[in-house]
Amino acid sequence: MRLAAFLLRRLLGLVGVLLGMSVLIFGIIHILPGNVAYAILGEFATPAAVAQLEAKLGLNDPLPMQYWRWLSALLQGDFGTSIVMSRPAASLIAEALGRSAVLAALAFGLVAMGGIGLGLYGATHRGRLADKLLTLLQFVLIAVPEFFWAILAVLIFAAWLNLLPATGYAPLSDGVLAWGSHLLLPVLVLASGLVAHVARLTRSSTIEVLDSRYVLTARARGLGERRVLWRHALPNALLPAITVLAIDAGLLIGGIVVVETVFAYPGLGRLLVYAIERHDLPLLQVGMMVVTAIYAVANFIAELLYAVLNPRIRVAGAAA
Amino acid sequence: MTAVARSPLRLPSSLVLGAALLGLIAAAAIVGIWLTPYDPAAFAVRDRLQPPSALHPFGTDEFGRDVLSRVLAGAHLSLAAGFGAMAISLAVGVPLGLLAAFHRGVTEELIMRAVDLLISLPPVLLGLLVLAVTPPSLGKTIAAVGLVYVPILVRLTRAVALGLLQEDFVQAARARGEGAVPILWHEILPNAWPPIIVECGLRVTFAILLGSALSFLGLGPQPPASEWGLMIAEGRDFLRQAPWICLAPGLSLCVLLVTVNLVGEGLRERLDPQLSGRAHA
Amino acid sequence: MPDAAMSDVVVDGNVLRVEALSVAYPSRDGWLHAVDGVSLSIAPGTVLGLVGESGSGKSTVVLALLGLLGSSARLRAERLEFDGHDLLREAAALRGRRIGVVFQDSAATLNPALTVGTQVVEPMRVHLGTKRALAWQRGIELLAEMGIPRPAEIMRSYPHQLSGGMKQRVGIAAALASEPDLLLLDEPTTALDVTIEAQILSLLDRLRTMRLEGGRRLAMLLVSHNLGIVDRLCDSVSVLYAGRLVESGTTANVLQRPLHPYSKGLLAALPRVDRQHAGRLAPIPGRLPDLWAPDPGCNFRPRCAFASAGCEQPQRVTGDHHKVRCHRADTIVDIPWPIERATAAAQPRSAVPLVEAADLSIRFDSGGWLQRLLGESAGILAVDRVSLTIHSGEVLGLVGESGCGKSTLGRLLLRLLPALDGTLSFAAEPVRAKPDARFRRQAQVVFQNSDTSLNPRQTVGEILGRAIRWFAIANVEAEVMVEVGRLLDLVRLPRSYARRYPHQLSGGEKQRVGIARALAPRPRFVVCDEAVSALDVSVQAAVLNLLRDLRDQLGVAYLFISHDIGVIAHIADRIAVMYRGTIVEEGLADDVLRPPYHPYTELLLSSVPLIGRQRDTDPPPAARPPAAGGCKFADRCRFRLGPLCDSVPPPLQAAGPGHRIRCHIPLPQLAGQPHWLDRGETT
Repeated sequence: MRLAAFLLRRLLGLVGVLLGMSVLIFGIIHILPGNVAYAILGEFATPAAVAQLEAKLGLNDPLPMQYWRWLSALLQGDFGTSIVMSRPAASLIAEALGRSAVLAALAFGLVAMGGIGLGLYGATHRGRLADKLLTLLQFVLIAVPEFFWAILAVLIFAAWLNLLPATGYAPLSDGVLAWGSHLLLPVLVLASGLVAHVARLTRSSTIEVLDSRYVLTARARGLGERRVLWRHALPNALLPAITVLAIDAGLLIGGIVVVETVFAYPGLGRLLVYAIERHDLPLLQVGMMVVTAIYAVANFIAELLYAVLNPRIRVAGAAA
Repeated sequence: MTAVARSPLRLPSSLVLGAALLGLIAAAAIVGIWLTPYDPAAFAVRDRLQPPSALHPFGTDEFGRDVLSRVLAGAHLSLAAGFGAMAISLAVGVPLGLLAAFHRGVTEELIMRAVDLLISLPPVLLGLLVLAVTPPSLGKTIAAVGLVYVPILVRLTRAVALGLLQEDFVQAARARGEGAVPILWHEILPNAWPPIIVECGLRVTFAILLGSALSFLGLGPQPPASEWGLMIAEGRDFLRQAPWICLAPGLSLCVLLVTVNLVGEGLRERLDPQLSGRAHA
Repeated sequence: MPDAAMSDVVVDGNVLRVEALSVAYPSRDGWLHAVDGVSLSIAPGTVLGLVGESGSGKSTVVLALLGLLGSSARLRAERLEFDGHDLLREAAALRGRRIGVVFQDSAATLNPALTVGTQVVEPMRVHLGTKRALAWQRGIELLAEMGIPRPAEIMRSYPHQLSGGMKQRVGIAAALASEPDLLLLDEPTTALDVTIEAQILSLLDRLRTMRLEGGRRLAMLLVSHNLGIVDRLCDSVSVLYAGRLVESGTTANVLQRPLHPYSKGLLAALPRVDRQHAGRLAPIPGRLPDLWAPDPGCNFRPRCAFASAGCEQPQRVTGDHHKVRCHRADTIVDIPWPIERATAAAQPRSAVPLVEAADLSIRFDSGGWLQRLLGESAGILAVDRVSLTIHSGEVLGLVGESGCGKSTLGRLLLRLLPALDGTLSFAAEPVRAKPDARFRRQAQVVFQNSDTSLNPRQTVGEILGRAIRWFAIANVEAEVMVEVGRLLDLVRLPRSYARRYPHQLSGGEKQRVGIARALAPRPRFVVCDEAVSALDVSVQAAVLNLLRDLRDQLGVAYLFISHDIGVIAHIADRIAVMYRGTIVEEGLADDVLRPPYHPYTELLLSSVPLIGRQRDTDPPPAARPPAAGGCKFADRCRFRLGPLCDSVPPPLQAAGPGHRIRCHIPLPQLAGQPHWLDRGETT
């Protein structure tokens, strides 16, 4: 019962955030100084052209009406049309989203497994040489920007060693090797900083649990160190990791924008940057909305997972 | 107990090392530009794409500009992006967080829901959104990055302040009949700043990273500025012939980030142990 | 001798033998000597009490026996044997299997992610290799043995669903699951309410007589700071001070006829409900010695009332059955610890009420403002129409268990929380919801936790100076400093302490600063909210004496809030007993502490473990849901009359001048209860 109420509340929250987001995205684009039509047509556009475009886009209507028109269309599945490419935004986004999803899923899997694994290793080997080396490595990984990693990777593996393609994308139909070789560097670069982030927080949450009274009690009951770690410490230590991974999903989205740009990978991130460069506002609005929605849903899933895995939320009430 | 104050106050080595390096970088950013013989913006077509040499320690770029001079001239931009953004989020986030902590109810609800909203935008996207419509510039990058960290600081400040408001020494001040302002000034702020400073110290690294990433995407200072992210973006086309155009600003950026990270970690080491057991976000 | 170790076990039959155990921890300032040459032994089926205040090293001994000190600690012992096994080498194999342990604070020692059953069954599965279904069945039996209702259901629940007392029962069940020969109990009841504590103690007492398989009997080591608990359970007692064993012997000998000055001091410092108004307590001055550089001579010397030349000589433990570590033990055998004299004569108490509260109530809402808006949250009445009066110079003791609303009531009387209902007047004038400076000046507060009651970033001088300036007692810097000095004198702290920060003070010293801050505006009324509860007994006595002297000297009235009825009985002129937001009994201290009393007062009093009196606690009556509208205590009351108690609010009966009891049971019947000191005596 309690879980159901929790779910309902969070679901309402999700809808609220998405609505708020739509207002924010629409608002920032339309309210910030800078005429939308000029932004699209360039600053040397003729007044006539500007007027024509404003009429076409309905820019002379009151903002709330424009917003309502945009939102109701969005809800009916009408994502509008890209101005620059004159194609439905929906199909553009769907194609790009598919390619980004592959990239994100691979990187996220690597972050989750690598980060949690390294974090656990560090926590259980606290103070030893391996732990210190890992800490140092994490320190460096966090402090190096993704785009610089990307440049270095291209320089070393593509320019100097000629092992992998520098940029671009190959569909799976070109063969697994071509597909994979185009994905390898972007995935590694995307995961680099986040692995360090997750490893670091997993390490500290695990150490906190290992120092807890109930782990001491488990040891005092004569349980073996392996059993103490896997059965008593892990279920508690991994709960915070879920929250960290949710935060990192956001950072991953940011990283995708940068990495896709460097590797000329035709995904959603690059589409957004393209839309900004070309002032393709309808495309930008919808693209932003889609990305935000994905992030919001990811957070929702994380909260759900947290609730399901945490008996203190899942199981209610007093038994005695 | 007997453990009281036996050890003299010791500064963590990471803080000392980081602060020294940061001082060096700041000095280089300020005076370095006068020490190099080249104008960072001066074209010299005959000297284009020169590899590193005694004359040009970091080589030259596609317009023959001295890369070292450009790196030195760009240092202040990265520093400004990081610390400026942090200053903005401090100036906005801390008062809002305190307001939310002191005015429970509708005010708090409004602030915290707005924070929830801002925080549900992935950081780079928030920057992209702000910079999408208006022509990019350094000031806007700083503002955009600052905006990203406002919600985090609001949440932290509110949590710390709420924790402190529960403490008995604040209750004692209330029992004396003190109002919000003296309590804020004498009881809350002196105890709230350490966790806030620690958070900022650790966030400056991310602020610099985010600022340079936006610049790299072309949404920061515009050419011919020598912002390091921008320099890397520009040098990408010559990566095979002249990798130093990218490597010089990139490595500089790494050094700066490691330094700032050192300072942040050092601050945490120095300030956190005293705060253990107190409110955390 | 050492080569006869095995036969020794047979000869003296001890299950645990510890000789000259020393433990040191590395720290930045060198080795911290937490335990220094401690020797203990426990015979099968007996209970040894290990008594000491914070910093005595008693918990370190437990961890050392279990081999859980951590790799950095340095452990040395001439002998550390359990049933012939060397614990230095075999602790890991024996702990949990033959040595069980129950730690303090069961909320933290049960794993929140695992069900109760999993945690109780695990030792059986791991150590005894019991099959899953069988172990589960045995777990249910064990929980039932521990007095847990509906054990099969509890097995499947998670720790957060259980109350504190139930959690501790589960902790004991899990420790006993592998049928150990020795049970280590580290402060097993410290976080619990006194009535729950009494139930756990009865349970442990029953375990003492329990026979294990093969006729073995369970031995226990009880670590505690509470002498009453030790007396209740233990056959013999060892007293630790600053890492050293100062006295050991049978419980009767050590607690009735202590030989070591520290044990004498500890007993004299204890406020005891069976000796109310016995005059002043005897505090032990000073603080714990430096554990980094242990004194080769007697380390209690600087605090000892009997110290003389020669005490700085190295010492050893002497005596056969009643051992003591003191150079002067023989010369001070029958001399009690000296009691300091009062500093001022008591001021006459006025008959005019100073504080008068009528029908004060407060409701705490659960849930956020949204739920409140939707009317979903009813909230709970934390304080339910409470009326009370406090006269000038009077101490009203307010006693009750955790969560009964006593601290909330204290804050209501200071208008620190907005009352839902009711009126408050001070010196015959009504106090508004937002009181003026005059009220603030006259009504002050002292808090429990000295760690959070002082601003860590201000010096003692600044803390006191702020209060002085705020109330304009003095404004010029020099005058303020004079006033700070006066306040420090008043609470008997050196004036040089004005320059110290709170973290440079001991717990007792911090509490004195808190008192000085409350006294800064020269108030007439001070709420002492658990003001001595966090302090060690020896320090608590000094603070209680100080508070009592200040009352006599300055004529301040106190509302003295405490969960410890011993402390209340010692300091209060009148006592109010609170239960679930209501005052169930109120009257002069002497009247409240003897029949007729409210059944809850009786339960509280008879639950206190007292030195020199053995008793069994009655099992609590079968659980009923708390009644709505009737007496709030009905579901726990041994004397419940019937449906009347569940449905009708109990009347306030006058049992004597100023003595009122809120109960349905007729007064003669309440008066007919035996005195709590005589009831259930078994020795």
